[in-house]
Amino acid sequence: MAATQTNPLRVGLRQERVISPQCLVIFGASGDLTHRKLIPALFELFRQRRLPTEFSVLGCARRPWSDDDFRNRMAEAMADEVKQHQSAWQQFAACLFYEPVDLQQDEDVVRLGTRLEALDRQRATRGNRTFYLSVSPAFYGSGCRALANAGLLKDPSRSRVVIEKPFGTDYGSAQSLNRVVQSCGKESQIFRIDHYLGKETVQNILVLRFANAIFEPIWNRNYIANVQITAAETVGVEERAGYYETSGALRDMVQNHLTQMLALTAMETPGHFDPESIRSEKAKVLQAARLANEDEPWKCCVRGQYSRGGNPANPMAGYREEPGVNPESTTETYVAMKLFIDNWRWQGVPFYLRTGKRLPKRLSEVVLTFRKAPVQLFDAAGGTPTANQLVLRIQPDEGAGFVFDVKAPGSGMRSRPVDMHFSYDESFGEPSDEGYVRLLADAMLGDPTLFTRSDEVEAAWRLYTPLLELIEDAPHQLPVYPYEARTWGPSAADNLLAEDGLMWRRP
Amino acid sequence: MAPQLTLQAPLQLPPSEVPAYLNRLWTDNLKDSSGAATFTLVVWEPSWLQQQLIRTGRADGPITGLLNDQLLEAAREAIGALGLPASTAPTAPDVAWALGQLPGSHGAEDLRGQFVDRAISAHQPRRLITLAPTLAGDQQLESTVAAYCPLPEERGVSADACGDVVVLRGGMGAMQQGLAMLQELIPSDLPCWVWWNGTMDESPELLEALAVPPRRLVVDSSIGEPRRCLDLLVQRIEQGQAVNDLNWLRLRTWRESLAMVFDPPCRQSALDQVVQLDIDVEGQHPVKGLLLAAWIADRLGWHLLNSFWIDGGAGEGRGIGAEFQRSDGQSVQFRLMPVPVGVSKMHPGALVGLRLICAPPQRPPLCVILCSESGGCMRLEAGGVASMELAEEVVPLPNESEEMEMARLLGGGHDSTNPLLASAAALAAKLLPN
Repeated sequence: MAATQTNPLRVGLRQERVISPQCLVIFGASGDLTHRKLIPALFELFRQRRLPTEFSVLGCARRPWSDDDFRNRMAEAMADEVKQHQSAWQQFAACLFYEPVDLQQDEDVVRLGTRLEALDRQRATRGNRTFYLSVSPAFYGSGCRALANAGLLKDPSRSRVVIEKPFGTDYGSAQSLNRVVQSCGKESQIFRIDHYLGKETVQNILVLRFANAIFEPIWNRNYIANVQITAAETVGVEERAGYYETSGALRDMVQNHLTQMLALTAMETPGHFDPESIRSEKAKVLQAARLANEDEPWKCCVRGQYSRGGNPANPMAGYREEPGVNPESTTETYVAMKLFIDNWRWQGVPFYLRTGKRLPKRLSEVVLTFRKAPVQLFDAAGGTPTANQLVLRIQPDEGAGFVFDVKAPGSGMRSRPVDMHFSYDESFGEPSDEGYVRLLADAMLGDPTLFTRSDEVEAAWRLYTPLLELIEDAPHQLPVYPYEARTWGPSAADNLLAEDGLMWRRP
Repeated sequence: MAPQLTLQAPLQLPPSEVPAYLNRLWTDNLKDSSGAATFTLVVWEPSWLQQQLIRTGRADGPITGLLNDQLLEAAREAIGALGLPASTAPTAPDVAWALGQLPGSHGAEDLRGQFVDRAISAHQPRRLITLAPTLAGDQQLESTVAAYCPLPEERGVSADACGDVVVLRGGMGAMQQGLAMLQELIPSDLPCWVWWNGTMDESPELLEALAVPPRRLVVDSSIGEPRRCLDLLVQRIEQGQAVNDLNWLRLRTWRESLAMVFDPPCRQSALDQVVQLDIDVEGQHPVKGLLLAAWIADRLGWHLLNSFWIDGGAGEGRGIGAEFQRSDGQSVQFRLMPVPVGVSKMHPGALVGLRLICAPPQRPPLCVILCSESGGCMRLEAGGVASMELAEEVVPLPNESEEMEMARLLGGGHDSTNPLLASAAALAAKLLPN
């Protein structure tokens, strides 16, 4: 008999929290994100019975679509899913509505308010609304203002706004945008989304640290020698050249995703597991973080850009040869840097961050390397003793590993490292929800734990301000080193660690 | 409604005037508001246990309808004093019935319907109607109404979040009389929940009249005669009504603990090789155990061949046995046994332990034992399980009140029954021998 493929007892058990009746309003509903991520995530929630019956989605964009147009386009974009779950889709599609809205036009916003009231009556959604701004960042401020002016944000307990990244392009613009957004509603209504925080393994950093008594006592400068945080991609810039040329790896990955991993890894223990306690600790640790050398930031940061690579069978274009990219572009596709955190827990412990496109592997991980044993009693089989390492694998092969020495088999007393391995797949079998499923559910639940607060965003931008200013004012001091596609970045990045007698982990 | 602002003192009115009064209240006095566009919650709140404990001087008033620690303690003491088996749960109808045989005439203020758990009032019911039957069967119908709004600090002062509370109090005959007026009070354009917070086999005609589809019914299948509980669940679900069973919801920790054992893919194939399932429950109410067994059988695709009573021997109650057939034709034996406990949990038929034995070919048998946090399960640990691969877990006690569970349902409910409950209830009804 064939083995059971998934755990049949697990079905239907993921109904921990119930989303209140409400209407989710998606601005930019004709865009990619809506049919690629948002509607599939909502459909998944619907199939898991995590959406209440009193629920509706109102798609809004400038296109003059009808409700049926919207439903049909979503069904076309999700053809495979719809085919697999036709009956569920029919029920779900009945929750989908559309209203042509240009948020810059007052009369459109007034009409939106009227439509929402009608939907409240029609679907019994109790006036609860989540507004998802899946629009160009240039419209975040004006979009929020339009909603506030129409009175759609006046009740903080029944209206929320979800904003996609990037939230600002530097410290100043993030501050300005925060001021605008906060003038439209309370901070508790603003949900700044960072889809990395939707990943199970990123959230697991919190559980691993604070649910186990063994880690926290050694999670500090007395026991940890350094921390490496890596987010590596194998893909190039793909179709995002227009956006990427203005952002680069520093804004696209480091300021948000890597910084969030840094904050979760380094934050102090929150007093309670509630959103504000956690976000306060994250903000505090980011405020204590600094570049290893703020006066001469070029000494603690390396930028790179991928050049041609691959092999004759699978040649890969260099960044400057990609469609839509300036042939003279100095946009970085790779960044490595060294940070310190000036607090009692982490003083003197270097944090190394790196991210890049067209690297040999797609992976994200946090690696904590512990100090070596004070006295070496045993010869190491590999020549030099290995430091203990705790590896938190964010993706792929989600899980954790712990590297420690054991006695090598044989008559002597030599030590050699082994890896104790935990894998989500092996332990749980079930795939985790896609990040947007978790984050959309949390936003509709009004739970901001996994969303970034204004002070976190500002602290993150302030941390990288010396680098952004240097890139702006004296780019020659922070040159973009070329690296061959599908290699681990420029050699200058290796030198950054070599100066400290270290090496990047080769995962 | 503790966190809310009373717009008026609770007003006692002749029942016949209540509908007109509420209409006037919203159209004249609160004319800027049509009230919260949320839902109506109708609660059948007999609180027989509390009423009897107070009447016999074993507990202090007022009558609130809320079960607190002092009441449970008083009920446990009464169980001993009344000579009921120690395994009797405090909320078992037997306790209130036995207390009803004792003399006593202590009185207390009746505040049922006016003490609403914060978790429920936070959802701002548009109308909360409490039916509060009294011990005196001939008591005339009384009605109390009040309107409420959220406190300003709770949220922006907006009249469209306001609601009202109606309490109908009287003897059973009066309750019947008030039924027609009550139907008039339920707004047809909002979802309506009917929480039958009493025994499932009492006042069937009232339940029938109140819980009319598409109203969403909330019951507790641990309270009432088991056959009636299961048949009612099945009948309502088959009618297409959205039914929520608090007894089923309380199984959550057991289902989660069992699922956790089989999460590692290396264990999942053992689920195809189950040969024996044993469940121990407190006292003589098997519904919770049957729901758990039925859920397991349904999820694993077993087919029920037969079920029968088992004589538990001297001093023990009757158990239930059954034989299932797996999808590969092999047999699975099921036993549900009542076990005596020193201190019972709050609800009848609480689970004590579960044992699942899997016999994969060419491998040692796997025995999974789940034990309740509050008690051991020595009976299940006996019988040669030491020679098997043993996976033993302790199931934590749920720490949420009925009101919290109810609030969770009200917060985001469905207009259909959870398909897992629907399947499990139908199978559990077949498992219970006639």
